[in-house]
Amino acid sequence: MLETLNKIRTQVVSDLETVQSTAELEALQVKALGKKGELTALLKSLGKLPQEERPAMGAAINEARKALQERIDLRAQELKRKERDEALRREAIDVTEPRKLPEIGTAHPITIVMNEMIECFTGMGFEVLQGSEVELEYYNFELMNIPKNHPARDAQDTLYIDDNIVLRTHTSPMQARVMLARKPPIRIVCPGRVYRADELDASHSPVFHQMEGLVVDEHISMADLRGTLDAFAKHIYGADVNIRFRPSFFPFTEPSAEVDLTCSNCKGTGCKVCKGTGWIEILGSGMVNPKVLDMCGIDSQKYSGFAFGIGLDRIAMGRFAIPDMRLLFEGDARLLSQLR
Amino acid sequence: MKLPLSMLRDYVEIPIAAEAYAQRMIMTGTAVESIERPGEEIQNVVIGRVLTCEKVEGTHLTQCTVDVGQENPLHIVCGAPNAAAGILVPVALDGATLPGGQTVKKGKLRGMASEGMLCSAAELGIPQELYPSTGEAGLLIFNEEYPVGMDIKPIVGLDDAIIDFEILANRPDCMCALGIARESAAALNTNFLAPSGRVKESGGDIHKEVKVSVLDPDLCPRYTARVIKNVRIAPSPKWLRKYLTGAGLRPINNIVDITNFVMIEYGHPMHAFDLSKVRGREIIVRRAKDGETLTTLDDVERTFTSSDLLICDAEGATGIGGVMGGEESEITESTKEVMFECASFNRTSIRLTSRSQGMRTDASARFERGVSPHTTMDAVNRACMLVDMLDAGDVVNGCIDIYPNPVEIKSVAASVRRISERSGVDIPAATMVEILEKLQFTVKLKGDTLTVTAPPFRSDIETEADVCEEVLRIYGFEHIGCTRLRGESTQGGISAQLKLTGKIAGILHGMGYMEIMKFSFLSIHEIEKLGLPEGDLRLDPLRIQNPLGEDSSVMRPTLAPDMLKTLSFNMSHGTAAAKLYEIATVYDKRRVTDEGLPTETQTLCLGAYGEDVDFYAVRSAAEAVLKSQGIDDYTIEKCGEPYLHPGRRAVLNKDGQDIVKLGEVHPDVRDAFDMPGRAVIAEIDLALVGKAAKPMGPLKPLPRFPGVARDLALVIDESIAVGPLTTAIRKAGGELLETVEMFDVYRGGQLEQGKKSVAFSLTFRAPDRTLTEPDVAKAMEKIQRSCAYQFGAVIR
Repeated sequence: MLETLNKIRTQVVSDLETVQSTAELEALQVKALGKKGELTALLKSLGKLPQEERPAMGAAINEARKALQERIDLRAQELKRKERDEALRREAIDVTEPRKLPEIGTAHPITIVMNEMIECFTGMGFEVLQGSEVELEYYNFELMNIPKNHPARDAQDTLYIDDNIVLRTHTSPMQARVMLARKPPIRIVCPGRVYRADELDASHSPVFHQMEGLVVDEHISMADLRGTLDAFAKHIYGADVNIRFRPSFFPFTEPSAEVDLTCSNCKGTGCKVCKGTGWIEILGSGMVNPKVLDMCGIDSQKYSGFAFGIGLDRIAMGRFAIPDMRLLFEGDARLLSQLR
Repeated sequence: MKLPLSMLRDYVEIPIAAEAYAQRMIMTGTAVESIERPGEEIQNVVIGRVLTCEKVEGTHLTQCTVDVGQENPLHIVCGAPNAAAGILVPVALDGATLPGGQTVKKGKLRGMASEGMLCSAAELGIPQELYPSTGEAGLLIFNEEYPVGMDIKPIVGLDDAIIDFEILANRPDCMCALGIARESAAALNTNFLAPSGRVKESGGDIHKEVKVSVLDPDLCPRYTARVIKNVRIAPSPKWLRKYLTGAGLRPINNIVDITNFVMIEYGHPMHAFDLSKVRGREIIVRRAKDGETLTTLDDVERTFTSSDLLICDAEGATGIGGVMGGEESEITESTKEVMFECASFNRTSIRLTSRSQGMRTDASARFERGVSPHTTMDAVNRACMLVDMLDAGDVVNGCIDIYPNPVEIKSVAASVRRISERSGVDIPAATMVEILEKLQFTVKLKGDTLTVTAPPFRSDIETEADVCEEVLRIYGFEHIGCTRLRGESTQGGISAQLKLTGKIAGILHGMGYMEIMKFSFLSIHEIEKLGLPEGDLRLDPLRIQNPLGEDSSVMRPTLAPDMLKTLSFNMSHGTAAAKLYEIATVYDKRRVTDEGLPTETQTLCLGAYGEDVDFYAVRSAAEAVLKSQGIDDYTIEKCGEPYLHPGRRAVLNKDGQDIVKLGEVHPDVRDAFDMPGRAVIAEIDLALVGKAAKPMGPLKPLPRFPGVARDLALVIDESIAVGPLTTAIRKAGGELLETVEMFDVYRGGQLEQGKKSVAFSLTFRAPDRTLTEPDVAKAMEKIQRSCAYQFGAVIR
């Protein structure tokens, strides 16, 4: 009997070597260890042995079953791994085969620039407001210290709806509206469309975009203006740029300053883009003219303020190297699809 | 305004080079557009004397020997007709460079050695007017004596720098050499040297020569005149011609040149009358009568109104005050007596006249900016001094000066502390005083208070803020530091409108839509292309009173035409597919605000074409936009814009308002916009979206009990719309029906002609228990009955 057991054992071990699939292995297991298998049959025939031999033989069969089971499990694991590996090989695909990408839309260059600015100014505690584009002359001019008969009001510069209503020529009327409605401290920026009677060409457009800024509080100074605009410039253009103030004139600010930015092309050493100056003009600014404060119901003895107006179109053109203003308003998908 | 640097140096010390000077001027508020150096390209051109000059037989050439101060004279072959022995001429030496990049090299001409070139004025880029005696083809011959071998440039003014200044609108006083010189003196902290001297009078009495009356002093605040007798018309001397050409003016004769020079110097446009041609020897300055006419110098008969100012003589109008003089009294070669007029005119009146007559002259441009009445006398006297200096005539004693209401000179009180505070720079009081005095202000300092009187030509100084600017710009803007805002903090943030558009833009970008921006105005014809029915209010939009042109004359009542144009543009530029959107304002003149302004409604327009684009794709995009705002309770109605395909258009209606209008573009409209392919557009009213938007609320808890899924296929008539059928299913399904989704529409096969089978997938769920089979069966039964009753739907 022991001989039979050893034979079964040897046979199973040798069969295990030749088994090539989990299905064959299962069959082998059933044949050897199943309910109707060879070891079970051997166990059932224990009765034929003399009483005293039975325990030892029983133990030997059980030991053989355990050992074989272990060998089979081991083999099962091997085969499973092998089969899975084969499946993985079979399922391999050409990962370089091209497919169409999901389309990614984009904001317009001006919107991209505007959003970056909004992010910058809201971070400094500014509130973003938007005014109407069709505006009363009173807010657009009168309250901005541009009196009747001022050349800026000429029909050749300003688009009129009627004698009292204009397409706003700057975002500044929002300054007046906010000052009339609120008490200091005021910190606002107002992005939006503005209009001038300019023919469309490579660098002019009758429709363009500005972002107005206004701060009114006690003890506001030119240094606060500079600090704010310096932070803005570094946010948009990077920490290595600088700004400089140049004296200028706007009816609604006094003193007034044009603000130049380190030329991004030559980093300030002077090149064709900046006409050799190392600087690019980016915006106009100044201390709110006390006359404007007073007209808008804010005590100019107690409060002072600064204001600035940034041209978004020019900044977008510089930022994305757009050579011609007309391209901004054409809506050419070939250009827009390069943005993200 | 162009001024030669050499001229400025007559009035102010400029101890630095042109570039550094320009930089300093820019940084103190006087912009410099450019610095021109007309002689920049000229090198190695010197004075030479022609020693011998022999004609070369059979040619137009001459063979010359020329002394240029070198050991041996040069041999030069010359083609100019006026070459002759003894003349003093410019000689370009071997290796010389001339304007336009021309270089002169030693060489042979017709076999004869030529070691240089004799030059004409044109070859050196010298304006003809500077040397009027030499013809265009001839050599430039100097009548004055210069040493041979001397560099030509300082002699002919080619070493000068011409600086083009750009003057700020509030500084008309800087529109002249003296103004710039005053600014320069303050900017450079050097001395200002005003022209000085007295008019040398030679007898007579001006009041016996001419009578002047100003009837409308509001339009002509000051009129000053002087008379010159025994006028000797001649060309001006070279220094004067040099300054005039440098400033961009053409020298004419001594009298005219003097008026022009004084204009450059003092900023006062002057006029010289031939007094013998002034009828009645009388000048009357008065308003025009309405409808009065005058033929001006440019031979145009013009009609005036009472807002225009005319200069008249005893018999009638001869010129337009401050704009254009009369032909009759022009200075000619034979002029013997001259009246100089130096007046100040009302800038607004000049501007209106200049605009209405379409005449913009150098004089009118200056008067529009503002010319101070204070300095007319100085200017006219300067002209008389020049007359004497140039020996152009004899100045008659006395002057006429009509100045009934002299402008009051006001002083401004300013606080030293407040100026420093406003500047953000600590500027010592003494420095402030110094700067202001340099700018010719009169200053008194007492404690913290500066009492400042601006010079009379500085009408822009009215308040402490103005004084602050004067001090700060000369002190230097570069001293302003960078401080961060202090004080009470403010609540920053973006407006509800920006939050809405930002969210929607993000959704659209995720779906592949790209943003475009178009002008806010267009041509009415673009709107007409939409084929709107008569009476559609969009055909009568808000109009611009003074549009740039017809194509930009009306404010957009809809974004559709621009979107259609843009889609067409992209189709015709070879872009196979595009998805575009614009967020912009449409204007409604019929709904006005309390202030009388037209209503501006923010609108989203979607436009798309291409293989994957159909009506449903764009409707889904629009619905996604609504969904992003929590809006789901709208109905889809089969109607809409007339410019859309009648069978492929819809409106999404919420509470009776069309929140979205969309559809495929009508083929007629495609033709009108030259669109070769189909396209779908949608207009979404963002004001309505904003109003209907629901805030994101608390989230629903996850379901605790399993749902039951059922499919339902219904056969219905082709004409029945799936939308209402879906609504009916939802309604009949009651509270247990969680979702309804259509997943297939099937036609043909065993189905009868004119029928379609629509398959839905339904999910049932109860919040508080596991549904039983009878629960679901009952609900399905109810749905089937309802669909059969309302739509004749049969279970497939």
